[in-house]
Amino acid sequence: MIQNKVCLLGTSGVGKTSLVAQFVHSMFSDKYLTTVGVKIDKKIVQVDGTEVMFVIWDLAGDDDFQRLQTSYLRGTSGYLLVADGTRRVTLDQALELQKRVAETLGATPFVLALNKADLAPQWEVDEAQISALAAQDFTVIKTSAKEGAGVEEAFAHLARRMTASA
Amino acid sequence: MRSAQPRKPVDDLAELRRLINQPERDKLRDLRDRLDDKEQRAHEVAAILPEAVTLSGDRSEELTRALRPAVEGSVRESIEKRPEVFIDALHPIIGSVVRRSIAESLRTLLQSLNQSLEQSFSWQGLKWRFEALRTGRSFAEVVMLRSLVYRVEQIFLIHRETSLSLLHLSADPAAAQDSDMVAGMLSAIQDFSRDSFKTGKDEALEEFRIGELQVWIAPGTHAYLAAAIRGNPPRELRAALEDAIERVHVLRGSALAKFNGDAAQFESLRPELEPCLRGQYQAKKTSAGTNRAWLALALGAGLVVAALIVGIQSEMRWQDFVRQLNAAPGIAVTQAEKGWISKSRVAFLRDPEVADPAALARAAGINPSRIRFEWKDYLALDDASVLRRFEKRFGKPAGTKLDLTNGALEIRGAVPYEWLARVQQDGIQSPGITSITDKDVKVTYDPDLALGRFRRAFSPPAGVIAKMENGTLLVAGTAPYEWLAPVRENAAKLPGISRISEEHLQVAYDPKLVLQRFSDRFSLPDTVNATMKDGILVLSGEAAHAWLMRVRPGAPTVPGIKTIDERNLTDLDLRAFQQSKSVIESAFVYFLVNKDNFATEGFAALSRLPDEIRRCLTAATRLGLEIQIEVRGSADAVGSGKRNAELSQRRAEAVRDFLVNCGFEPSLFKTMGLGAPPAADQPAPEQADRRTAFKVVPKS
Ligand SMILES: Nc1nc2c(ncn2[C@@H]2O[C@H](COP(=O)(O)OP(=O)(O)OP(=O)(O)O)[C@@H](O)[C@H]2O)c(=O)[nH]1
Ligand SMILES: [Mg+2]
Repeated sequence: MIQNKVCLLGTSGVGKTSLVAQFVHSMFSDKYLTTVGVKIDKKIVQVDGTEVMFVIWDLAGDDDFQRLQTSYLRGTSGYLLVADGTRRVTLDQALELQKRVAETLGATPFVLALNKADLAPQWEVDEAQISALAAQDFTVIKTSAKEGAGVEEAFAHLARRMTASA
Repeated sequence: MRSAQPRKPVDDLAELRRLINQPERDKLRDLRDRLDDKEQRAHEVAAILPEAVTLSGDRSEELTRALRPAVEGSVRESIEKRPEVFIDALHPIIGSVVRRSIAESLRTLLQSLNQSLEQSFSWQGLKWRFEALRTGRSFAEVVMLRSLVYRVEQIFLIHRETSLSLLHLSADPAAAQDSDMVAGMLSAIQDFSRDSFKTGKDEALEEFRIGELQVWIAPGTHAYLAAAIRGNPPRELRAALEDAIERVHVLRGSALAKFNGDAAQFESLRPELEPCLRGQYQAKKTSAGTNRAWLALALGAGLVVAALIVGIQSEMRWQDFVRQLNAAPGIAVTQAEKGWISKSRVAFLRDPEVADPAALARAAGINPSRIRFEWKDYLALDDASVLRRFEKRFGKPAGTKLDLTNGALEIRGAVPYEWLARVQQDGIQSPGITSITDKDVKVTYDPDLALGRFRRAFSPPAGVIAKMENGTLLVAGTAPYEWLAPVRENAAKLPGISRISEEHLQVAYDPKLVLQRFSDRFSLPDTVNATMKDGILVLSGEAAHAWLMRVRPGAPTVPGIKTIDERNLTDLDLRAFQQSKSVIESAFVYFLVNKDNFATEGFAALSRLPDEIRRCLTAATRLGLEIQIEVRGSADAVGSGKRNAELSQRRAEAVRDFLVNCGFEPSLFKTMGLGAPPAADQPAPEQADRRTAFKVVPKS
């Protein structure tokens, strides 16, 4: 079976760990325990009928206190860029981060997850911005680690992007 | 000097005041001095400041708040100006932060490893587990306590670039296989330590300890091995791990470099890594307990079965290897012993040109360093080896076909001349070749090599340009005849030259050498002087006719002579013949009147004639002429014509008879009776008419 290393990247607290927990274990917790270093998980996904194993690296959030350790990115086949839809600034940070990652990895497939879709009233990212990103060939998916919406879909899109570029 | 004067009351008052106030005034002055003296004040504040700060801190936050901007400002400034001070100061703290972070990762890793250990269900494992239950100790603790020196529990082969697990081996087959995550974590730990301690790119973490487990890393270019070990492993284990990772790279290096996520292709490496899953147990203390004895027995039996399986596998591999070795062309195994503890030994005869036995061993899954190879060189005589040796020695030109059957070599197809020459000369000495047939070959000639041969054989002089075209040697320029002559004769005998073309060649003749050639061939007589002028041979002087006859047709065939100029050359024989002829023809034999008897006047001629005729005959023979001498008798006008005719005939015959008597062949002479000369008006008895004359004529 083909194995692939995939990473989750984004500002602290956007819900990376929660997305992995939902995707791999179908679990969610309201408690926030910030990730130290890296947590590794795995899951087998189906891509066009063939099974592929994702070895998922949930990296500590990238912010002013903790810069992303680029050595963790080595050998990555694709990544999920996560932003928190209720905090506009995390989207800007995610896009900024994406540029830095592209410098290290070169062109690598990724999908942008706008998380916490269940918190609609506090939503700060408008549709116009989402379509502007889509126009730049970004795959943007709204997810909720809490309710599970869009989570499978986000990883499935990533898998498809990866096979397309392979 | 002061004199005694009466005191005034005012003075006394002042004196009194001075006495009373002086101490205060001194104090005041002291105080003022203290206040004015900054240095002193600093000393005093320093003495009370710590206490004051403590007091203030106890009472409220005010001082802290007040000091904060100043302190922050100075700290910032200090960091900007002299960061190293702060780095030194903070270093111990940072270290512990990093350690905590690693510890976090290690803890997760330990959990994963332990989990798989906990799930092991080996018989011994069960035993230990039971003991753990009974004593309340942790399972791992029991394992450690029970006799284990060390045991490699798990081996991970991990792809460096992607951190993905390529292969996972566990001492306990029942252990959970969560190798993918463990591989990731191991990589993360290494990345983390490398980044945190800023070590070089190639200095990876080689060992670390998590609880009772040690993890040893054996690095490789594309992949590394991680071994989780319980207990205290010996240093040899590191060598074994490094060996294994090196073998992994040798066997699958390119697959590792191109790894695309499909780990299944590395399953074949499992036997390479299996030997690393080793362990060592302490010698059992002797015990009288039947339980222990039974345990030992069971363990022994288990070991025997395991050893048997391993042994059979190893034996099969060995047999396989020996069979393959023997089958390899040029190797003949004479002896093979499988060594179980010592090295195995294989003795064989080996053709130096054949496959490497160590490579065959490796292919059969046997470590060649565990075999003692003993061989004697010999020359294999099977057709394949013989042919290989032949080809190695002579090479095999493209287009040439070689077939070897029972030592008989057949060469077919296009064969370069030089190669064939070498093979024809030395091929039969190649061991194992008994005969060489080349009747179906088409010999090809490399024009450059043919030209080289020509140059070596004839060293063309300056001015001559030679080249090859379709087997024809084209010679152009100007060449001395002496150089060209042997070329003409022999060049076409050189391999690769079928003919010579001189179309654009000018031949240069050296006149001296041309003359030399001429005189060598025709042995120039002393009486002849020869010179060359523009290709014409100019001859002067005198020469025998026979010589001339040879020279005339022969000289123009001498290279360098176009024609002969012999206007100034006399033919000695022709001259002698002409002289004799005229002597003979001017001799007259006179007769008596009306008789055929010689008159005395005729004797002189008669006495000279035989010699002269002889001389003439010799010259004629030299000239290749056959002559006859007409003997012409005549009579004077007196007498009848009939009588005169008769008389003149008789006179001619008389001369002839005389000459035949002198030894000449009668056929040499032809007698003629001419009668009398045409009658004059008055016939007179003229002596001059009574004679015989001679004429030399070609024989009719
Ligand atoms: N309502 C809601 N809350 C979420 C969602 N996803 C995550 N959270 C909460 O957001 C907080 C942070 O989530 P984490 O998943 O730990 O965030 P993270 O990105 O892993 O953060 P770091 O590890 O510090 O980088 C937690 O309290 C989660 O419960 C979501 O989809 N909806
Ligand atoms: Mg996290």
